[in-house]
Amino acid sequence: MAGTVIGEGLTIEGDISGDEEIVIHGNLRGRLTTTDAVTVGGTAVVGADITGASLSVAGQVTGDVTASERVDIQAGGKLVGDIKAARFTIADGASFKGNVDMEV
Amino acid sequence: MPRHPHELSVVGSGTRITGRISGSGALRIEGQVVGDINVNGETELSEGASVEGNLHGESLDIAGSLLGDARSSGAIAVRSSAKVRGELRGAEISIEAGARISVRLETEFELDFGTAQKRR
Amino acid sequence: MTEASVIGAGTVISGHVRGQGSLEILGRVEGDVSVTGNVVIGAEGRVRGTVNGAELRIAGQVQGDLRGSIAVLLEAGARVVGDISAPRVGIAPGALARGHVQTDGEPALAAARVPTAVVRPVGPPPRVAPLAALSPVVPKLEAKPLVLPTKVEAKPPPAPAKFEVKAPLPPPPKLAPPKPEVRKPEPPRVAPAPPQAEFTPVRPLKPEPRRPPPPVVPVLSKGIKAKKKKSQD
Repeated sequence: MAGTVIGEGLTIEGDISGDEEIVIHGNLRGRLTTTDAVTVGGTAVVGADITGASLSVAGQVTGDVTASERVDIQAGGKLVGDIKAARFTIADGASFKGNVDMEV
Repeated sequence: MPRHPHELSVVGSGTRITGRISGSGALRIEGQVVGDINVNGETELSEGASVEGNLHGESLDIAGSLLGDARSSGAIAVRSSAKVRGELRGAEISIEAGARISVRLETEFELDFGTAQKRR
Repeated sequence: MTEASVIGAGTVISGHVRGQGSLEILGRVEGDVSVTGNVVIGAEGRVRGTVNGAELRIAGQVQGDLRGSIAVLLEAGARVVGDISAPRVGIAPGALARGHVQTDGEPALAAARVPTAVVRPVGPPPRVAPLAALSPVVPKLEAKPLVLPTKVEAKPPPAPAKFEVKAPLPPPPKLAPPKPEVRKPEPPRVAPAPPQAEFTPVRPLKPEPRRPPPPVVPVLSKGIKAKKKKSQD
């Protein structure tokens, strides 16, 4: 299982870009761009625009998210920002505030 | 103090981070980082990886490319595949032959020549 | 042919140690050590001075620079205060060192820059024949390469004759510091320009001194006709 994992105790201030899967359990303030899947864990606090193939949010994200495939906000997750994706789900118990554009 | 469940961080080989990395937990860098890294944990710079910035960790294992200063409260190990340019400061510094380095070592110790005649 | 020498544990040498062959230091040396072979400094060995050799293996203590043409290896227990330079440097866990450690690149990293530095002065030709442009280049070449100058001096340069004959070569006063000297008493200085082909750190500086490049001085080009003033008296 290759890819990037930002542990719970870690904080990144800046831009992350890559071509592989990225999993965040810590803090990110900046920008996140990848061509693969993005997972924001339950303990994560992200203040950044996110671009990826897909995005799963279980923690907190403040920023616009763009996914070529889908965006899923899990129960307990929170997204404040616009979504641009072909498909999206907002689970029961999830929190979302923003616009959605399904035209990709 | 409970340790974080997700303690090991990895910057994958296909990832590039431009900015500061700080916090606690072990860190393994397989990709590229441009910026300072200040982590309270074991930090490893894998072969093929590169860091352009200062690197602080509890212990450092450097097998990739580092352009910047490295500080450790513990040991600093520079592997034979490493390429390092900067200042190294640690309790113990070891360098494998084969490493390409242009570094300044700042280890604290005294020579023991026995005659107590030290010029420096 | 290479002999191995040993400085015993109870021996103290005050002065420099030089020679062929390998050297094992178990005692103390207060001075520089320079041998063509390997140097081994035992755990009880102490050197206060520079150590030069092929492969240096240190288990004792050194206050001074270490230079190995092959390698410098510090074993556990070694203590070194000084700069270390060799193609390969190893510092085992348990060895202590303080100073600058260099493996890749030589101090003459500057040599790599020479080509660009050299080419520039040619840019603004000091309104004299091209030769003038070349000479400022030469002294600069001299400064950078560490080893080369010795090589060059060894060769009696036939070329300078050409140069000198060609043009009075008013040594560009601004550029080259040692002008008069560069010209006459030390042909080697000027010489390097042609025999460049040998070490070619720079591309051949257009060795065509015969033909002056089109003068930079603004000259009336052919198409221009002088404007006649209207006032005709």
